[in-house]
Amino acid sequence: MTRKLFATLPAIVLGALIAIAPQTFAYVCKVEDGMKMACHYTAQAALGLGVVIALLGILGLFVAPQVRAGLNIAVILNAALVVAVPTVLIGVCKGAMMHCHMVTLPTLIVLGVLSVVLAAIAVWFDIRDTKTAR
Amino acid sequence: MPRITLGRLPFENLRRKPFRTAALVIVVTMLTVAFYGGALLATNLKTGLNSMQERMGADLMVVPQNTGSKAEALLTSGTSSTFYFTNDIVKLVAGADGIGQATSQTYISSLAAACCDEKVQIIGFDPATDFVIEPWITSQYDGTLKDGEVVAGANINVSENGAIRLYNHDFPVAAQLAATGTSLDNSVFVNENTIPAVVSYSAKVGHAAIPQEYADKAVSAVLIKTADGYDAHTVAGNIAKASGISTLGYVYPGGVTASTRASLNALVGYAGLFLAVFWTMGLVVLFAVFASSMNERKREFAAYRIMGATRGMLVGLIVRESATIGLIGGVIGIAAASLAILPFNTLIGKQLQLPYLQTGIVTVLALVVAGLAFAVATGLIASIATAVKLSAPETYLTLREGE
Repeated sequence: MTRKLFATLPAIVLGALIAIAPQTFAYVCKVEDGMKMACHYTAQAALGLGVVIALLGILGLFVAPQVRAGLNIAVILNAALVVAVPTVLIGVCKGAMMHCHMVTLPTLIVLGVLSVVLAAIAVWFDIRDTKTAR
Repeated sequence: MPRITLGRLPFENLRRKPFRTAALVIVVTMLTVAFYGGALLATNLKTGLNSMQERMGADLMVVPQNTGSKAEALLTSGTSSTFYFTNDIVKLVAGADGIGQATSQTYISSLAAACCDEKVQIIGFDPATDFVIEPWITSQYDGTLKDGEVVAGANINVSENGAIRLYNHDFPVAAQLAATGTSLDNSVFVNENTIPAVVSYSAKVGHAAIPQEYADKAVSAVLIKTADGYDAHTVAGNIAKASGISTLGYVYPGGVTASTRASLNALVGYAGLFLAVFWTMGLVVLFAVFASSMNERKREFAAYRIMGATRGMLVGLIVRESATIGLIGGVIGIAAASLAILPFNTLIGKQLQLPYLQTGIVTVLALVVAGLAFAVATGLIASIATAVKLSAPETYLTLREGE
């Protein structure tokens, strides 16, 4: 049970944070006069990716270790996208003092990197356990 | 069944006791976060302070009455503001004894409007007399700043078409400067001929920065480099006499730097003290855990001796176990602290309200190496008593105690 929680809880919590952060404490620029900045689309993408990561974590609670390893590989790929969206794929506003540049960007990078690292460790444990069981 | 060699034995021992290993790694991680994180923050603050000192340039600033604190804030914390003289202060100051060089500057705080129309400090300078801004700008931009153009600080949001929108007008950006970690990063620089245009644009949007009648002669501060042999305070007294105005405000940039350095040193001093106490506590915890595990493992060590291990081998085993714990804790601690500090450097600088400039990659790498060395050394120091006990000649008797 501990191993199962270790392999799924980080994805659930971090996925939820990735989805929520750009809408709340790590907010992006408001849409004014219909003008949407890059950070607005980054927040939308992060919302989708965060929900997917959290759902993958929830699914991992009900499956065998080898399937969970596969789900965590999917978490790694999605988390890599969480890092790529604000840095390469979409971006944020250019001004270094803008809230989206100063807070949203680093928050998504940190949450994405943590998700990748913790999911990779979970994959390693699950694959090792599966091999040992054989 | 895998074959366990003497080389792999420490790692197998750590793997077989996951909770003890995890507890020790967590303690080393916390100590490394405090050491490396504290060192990185202190280095960034010091880099910011040195950058601020390099950018000061003048020995004395003459500002309007009761605006000294605003001018100081403008130099240190990045709070933008607008203030100006209504008389011809440059001419009044010029007659004073002890002035080496003097130049005027005009400060205007722009409006905070929509998302990408930021509130910035507009600094107007006189290229003919300037000795503060130009030497720095020319180190990064070799052209002449034309009327209507701006040079932007590092944090300014320059649009795709190379312009900045201020008072609903797009000013072409001639160059963007490198980060200094000071308020200058949030400023744009224009030559004094551009100031009346800025004022007229501000009036058009209904927020006149300066009344129209002062637009072409408004001066916010006279910056002075004192002549050789003259003290800034003496020159300030001379200016009061020469101008006949006793209510002028004076800011001494050297004093501002000194007081910032003093508060920074106090901050770093307290952080160092906290770190020392924290490290001692962590070391005591590690020491206790190693000592108690040595007690528990007497039979295990006796078995190694029976199998032919020498005292040196047992000491080597303990040393490698503790060094591995130190290394793992060090790597995790450095990664965690880097993740918390490096991406958030702009936010940290803004929150600290002190000059804060991210130090270069070489210094960061040096701190990483020092952090790892610190973590491994902490692990080794904690296991020293256990190793000494094992290397003593009466080891055999010590080990027999466990039977």
